[in-house]
Amino acid sequence: MLLELKNIFKWVNSGGQRIFLLKDINLSVEEGEFISVMGPSGSGKSTLLNVIGMLDQFNEGEYQFFGESVHALKEKHRANLYKEYIGFVFQAYHLLDDLTVYENLEMPLLYKKFKGAERKAMVADMLDRFNIVGKKDLFPAQLSGGQQQLVGVARALISKPKLILADEPTGNLNSKQGEEIMDLFKQLNKEGVTIIQVTHSEKNAAYGSRTINLLDGRKV
Amino acid sequence: MLKNQLKIAWRSIKKQPFLNSLNTLGLAIGIAGTLMISLYIYDELNYDKMFADADRIHRVNVDAKFGGPAREMSQVSGPMAEAILNDIPQVEQTLRFRPWGTASLSTTDSRDLILEQKTAFADSTLVDMFGLELLYGNPKQALSGPNKLIITETAAEKHFKTTEAIGQKLVLNEGDTYTVTGVIEDLPKNSFLKDYSVFMSMESYTDQYLNWGSHNYNTFIKLKEKVDPADIAAPLQGMMEKYLIPYAQEFFPGITLEQFEASGNYVYYSTMPLTDIHLYSNRDTDMSQNGDINNIYILSFIALFLIALASINFMNLSTAYSLKRSKEVGIRKTLGSDKSALIRQFLTESGLITFGAMLIGIVLVIITLPYFNALADKHLEFPYFNPIFWGFLLLSVAILGLLSGSYPAFFMSKFAPAKVLKGVSGNTVGGSRIRSVLVVVQFTVSVFLIIGTLVVSQQLRFIQNKDLGYSKDQVLLVNNVNRLGNGAVSFKQDVKDLASVGNATMSGYLPTPSYRSDSSFFLEGKLSQDEVVNMQGWRVDFDYINTLDLDLLAGRDFDPRISTDSSAIIINESALKVMQLSPEQALGKRIFNGIGEESTNEYTVIGVIKNFHFESMRQVIRPLSLQLAPSNDRLIVKLNSGNFENAISQIQELWDAQSPGIGLDYQFMDDSFNEVYQNEQRLGKIFIIFTVLSIFIACLGLFGLAAFNAQKRIKEIGVRKVLGASVSQITYRLSFDFLKLVAIAIIVALPLGWLAMNRWLEDFTYRTDIGLGILLAAAIVAIAIALITISYQSIKAAIANPVKSLRTE
Repeated sequence: MLLELKNIFKWVNSGGQRIFLLKDINLSVEEGEFISVMGPSGSGKSTLLNVIGMLDQFNEGEYQFFGESVHALKEKHRANLYKEYIGFVFQAYHLLDDLTVYENLEMPLLYKKFKGAERKAMVADMLDRFNIVGKKDLFPAQLSGGQQQLVGVARALISKPKLILADEPTGNLNSKQGEEIMDLFKQLNKEGVTIIQVTHSEKNAAYGSRTINLLDGRKV
Repeated sequence: MLKNQLKIAWRSIKKQPFLNSLNTLGLAIGIAGTLMISLYIYDELNYDKMFADADRIHRVNVDAKFGGPAREMSQVSGPMAEAILNDIPQVEQTLRFRPWGTASLSTTDSRDLILEQKTAFADSTLVDMFGLELLYGNPKQALSGPNKLIITETAAEKHFKTTEAIGQKLVLNEGDTYTVTGVIEDLPKNSFLKDYSVFMSMESYTDQYLNWGSHNYNTFIKLKEKVDPADIAAPLQGMMEKYLIPYAQEFFPGITLEQFEASGNYVYYSTMPLTDIHLYSNRDTDMSQNGDINNIYILSFIALFLIALASINFMNLSTAYSLKRSKEVGIRKTLGSDKSALIRQFLTESGLITFGAMLIGIVLVIITLPYFNALADKHLEFPYFNPIFWGFLLLSVAILGLLSGSYPAFFMSKFAPAKVLKGVSGNTVGGSRIRSVLVVVQFTVSVFLIIGTLVVSQQLRFIQNKDLGYSKDQVLLVNNVNRLGNGAVSFKQDVKDLASVGNATMSGYLPTPSYRSDSSFFLEGKLSQDEVVNMQGWRVDFDYINTLDLDLLAGRDFDPRISTDSSAIIINESALKVMQLSPEQALGKRIFNGIGEESTNEYTVIGVIKNFHFESMRQVIRPLSLQLAPSNDRLIVKLNSGNFENAISQIQELWDAQSPGIGLDYQFMDDSFNEVYQNEQRLGKIFIIFTVLSIFIACLGLFGLAAFNAQKRIKEIGVRKVLGASVSQITYRLSFDFLKLVAIAIIVALPLGWLAMNRWLEDFTYRTDIGLGILLAAAIVAIAIALITISYQSIKAAIANPVKSLRTE
């Protein structure tokens, strides 16, 4: 098992009332799964994704990731854990505007202290695999949305994560670009990468092997 | 409309308490500092301007070289004033002062002596030339005729318990009795006469050196209306040939002006406007402690810098936080507000903040003014009721508010609503290069000031620790010993016999401020006037050299068993140098004090002492000689280590036994020494205060900029974190850009500071070096301060949760 959430609660206090963002979430994910999280706006999809990605805390419950009890870990260990095993893909791509495609891909490797030659090989590999060798010296602003998201996915994959978390990866794309990204996810999943995506679209959800529906922070 | 605008402005100021308190604080400190300096500069620039005809009054100066080192004097010879009045028709009036220093005064019916710190003999023209108001007495006659004096209100109150003191008698220094013929208001605090309290009529003063060769009179002239002082330069210099050369011929028969000048000597007369004296005169024997125009320049620069810094910071901070308000701008625009309405709104806010800062600044000035006065030895008052001041202040603050507010207002009003409402704040930021330049400028000046502070304090330390050639530690100076009359000698012996006392000597001549006596000496075989040696002639007793720990280079000290020592002389190294002798050669040589005069004395050199500093370190050590002669003005007591209070109380007992009714007046030599460097110490302290203020304001700016930067890069930071960057990596990344700027500032400031402070040090003949250490220290201090300032924002940004910055909904 890759990860398991048990009775996860998350809330905020507002005006003397406790507002639940996540309510008693139980979820286990096996390696190789492709899960789609669906639900209306405000149902807690992104929050759940952030909790899984360890970017956000929860108030109650237990979270096992790859054999580690996340809820018992200190902040620093938690950060090390997600840095090593999780790649993120964002709706708005979040590429760094001042860096070229090549440099954007290289950045996670810098933070993981790979040697120069190794980095070069890994980036070249990734450029090849995504067919964007010709674009390596361009800046994000010079790319189309689809191409930017392609770079975003490549960047998430470059340090070989166990799990990809994608928050509406096609939300800013047109349908053709969206399809290409979803096909790519499907392909990656076949190669063994575990994926959890948040989506509004039934069509995109269908790419996954399992769908989780949320409403008001509760699994339905 | 305006009311509504103010209301909304107040609300939005309240909404961002942190930003706006920083803004207000920065501006308030800038305004307070600038205001304080302005009051100080205004006071300095208006020295002596309150006198009615100040613009027509000038002082006569003389630059002379006549054997020994060149001297710049503010005193000229006694007969000169009369000669000027007779020979130069453009001159309407002349006035001489013969400063008499501290005097002890007593009323005729009491033996109680009360000291007046500054007194002078003055010509009867004093009242008229300076337009002094007499509270009592006849201004025409107050100072004409012998044994008359005029006194200030405060002094009169002190001596007579009333200001109606006309006809009262005062005994001066236990000698002549004077009648009070005039009572004047206390003299203005920003005039060269500020500390003077008693003026005696010149006719009471008998001067045995009333000749053209002795320069002892501070002489003022009042020109007739519309006379250009340049017009009297030639006739003034002409006095030399007309009067001084004939005087010199009495000793050097047949000498001509050409011969005099050919031997490298000179005498130049000049005039200096009364109103320039305080800031531009740095001559021997000025009548009061002067300021320095360079300090005015430095302070003006600091004042401008403070206010500019505060204003820049306001802009930086406001723009830094403007992104938070971009949504507000967007909404306002979609609701139909146009740009100018937004600008008006933002300007109202900045105006409100500046006004608040002004009020706080004024309060700060009022609170700190007494401390500043004590520090700067000033009597500045806050001009509460001066409408011009208030008008000027309000106008300046309005301009400041507009200037500071305009950039953020235009900046924010340009936000495009569609973009900001979508939350794409991305590249709305321009002018980052300008801001970088501003940071460099701020830190350049800060580093410069840090160097200044360090150098001034190092020079002061240097002076404190320099081997002075004599020992000033544990030395007690007992003043007015001459008042014991014949009892002085036995008093000295009694003090010397105390177990707590190491040694004691009696003399009015000290390495710290005291009597000086410059006169002309001639070495045997070199009796022509171009070989004159101008040398201090100090009158001391047998214990002088031992008490002060002076070092003998050759020969011996005065010896009571050798009767011929009454005509012995001991000279210092500088005298040797002028005489071109080695220490051994000098021994046994005969020296004459004056030639051809009745008073000519002959001395034999029995010893040579090492140079010791008897004047300020600004000056080179001049030739000096010691002679055995009575001078019982002061008793110099070297105390043994241990209980000083005990020793002093023992001395007090001995004193009281000799002289009932007259208080013992004493001080430590250390303190007397430090008084010489008061100006430097004051400058040092003022430097520190304003350096700290400047750095503080510069740091507020950097703080704002760091916040701005962190906010601008918030998305980048989020992405980097998610991709695995650690907190320290991000902190480093955010701080590095600023440190680069500070490094540039350091590179610019170090040579500038080095050059400027070397120029300042050049004033001192004996000075410290600006070593690498000081420059390094300044650089490290600047970097450390910058780092501390930046790191708060950087770390805050680095530990922020990326989820918040990457949220797109």
